[in-house]
Amino acid sequence: MTGIPAAIRADFARARRLEWWTLGWMSTVIVTMALTMGASQAMRSALIEDFLSLVPAVTWLIAARFEARPPTRKYPFGFVRVQSLAFLVSAVTLALVGALVLVESASTLIQAEHPTVAPVTIFGHDVWLGWLMIAALAYSIIPPVILGRKKQPVARRLCDKVLHTDALMQKADWQTGLAGILGIVGIAFGLWWADSAAALFIALSILRDGVANIRTAAAELLDGAPRELAGSKIADDAGRLADRLVERWPGARVRLRESGRYIFAVVEGVEPPTAAPPNEALMGDDPEWRLGELAFEPRSGAEASSTPRR
Amino acid sequence: MRSPPLLSVVVGLALAGCSGLPRDPAGTSDRVAERGVIRLGDVEGAAPEPAAERALSRLAAATGARIERVPGHGEELLEGLQEGEYDLVYGRFADDSPWAEAVHLGRPLGDPVGASSSQRAPRFAFRHGENGWIAAVEEAAR
Repeated sequence: MTGIPAAIRADFARARRLEWWTLGWMSTVIVTMALTMGASQAMRSALIEDFLSLVPAVTWLIAARFEARPPTRKYPFGFVRVQSLAFLVSAVTLALVGALVLVESASTLIQAEHPTVAPVTIFGHDVWLGWLMIAALAYSIIPPVILGRKKQPVARRLCDKVLHTDALMQKADWQTGLAGILGIVGIAFGLWWADSAAALFIALSILRDGVANIRTAAAELLDGAPRELAGSKIADDAGRLADRLVERWPGARVRLRESGRYIFAVVEGVEPPTAAPPNEALMGDDPEWRLGELAFEPRSGAEASSTPRR
Repeated sequence: MRSPPLLSVVVGLALAGCSGLPRDPAGTSDRVAERGVIRLGDVEGAAPEPAAERALSRLAAATGARIERVPGHGEELLEGLQEGEYDLVYGRFADDSPWAEAVHLGRPLGDPVGASSSQRAPRFAFRHGENGWIAAVEEAAR
């Protein structure tokens, strides 16, 4: 398998554009946040999260450079699986962001630290920095809301789990931004715990998304059956493909795994056909490009197919 | 896209109440107004700074409270500040002072000459989080 299937080339280009837009827009967010919040310790960790939130976009772009390359002598199976690796990296980063926010906000709550937000002088006027922070956070919400929403349908069409994780990262971004605004409004009203409580709440949902994705990424690297884009269930199109394969070769043992965005199928214990049926026939109404490889393995003795050789 | 409307409500509410905000979680401003006294921890040996005196008299006028000076040693006063024994501590502190974590150090008073972060400058120290009080004192110190 070489190159990106023609059916998804337009979406693939679109995803690439979206990821570059993400890097560009989120950089402006990072600069805005650094200008308003650079001084305080609590906000420094917010900056670290912002940097981490770029990781899925960067890994997507790196993986995209490799994915379409033809196999080489050192990589005889090609590079489609680089997506699975990028997925694990993105999922771990998402979980890390959740864990960071969780630890930060929990420790602030436990130690009962009262956050100080002092006035700053702008053009000769004293302005409470909190109002500027709210303005910066309000800006920081807009790009991720738009980018995340644009990415989701593309990720579905591309069966792209990295892009989907990236969309979740944008969800994490705008949710922490909103929590930050609520927190600073709380501080303005003298509720020192508001900031951390809001962040703690959001952190739990980010961490849950991250851990769920790590599980799916691990399943992919362990040659688990293809999973849904969002969730731990086996993907619907994989189930239908398995049914059609069994229907075509009754008595065969069919095993499916996921390599990047593709399904690799192994049919065991039947006489391999001289020419494999076209993907369209096997995938039915599902996108035919999803089937990346169909392999046949002979049955070598009754037990051999079910007992792994060491 | 349900966040922008919610956002404008939040920001609108915040701006509407702008005058009395930010408030103090430990209520320093309220206590000062109630008692009519500002308890100032005065670090012994800190050279009097005209800008500090001017700031204190403006603060007294703005709050209608009188200044009660308590001379003492730096650490004792700053610990007392953390406990809420004092509303304000005046002394010479550097930006990179180890105390900068435990208390909030206000802006340097007077004309900071070639201020480096390790240079001690006359300034007020505040209990963390008393954002309304900090804003009021900084306003008087402008």
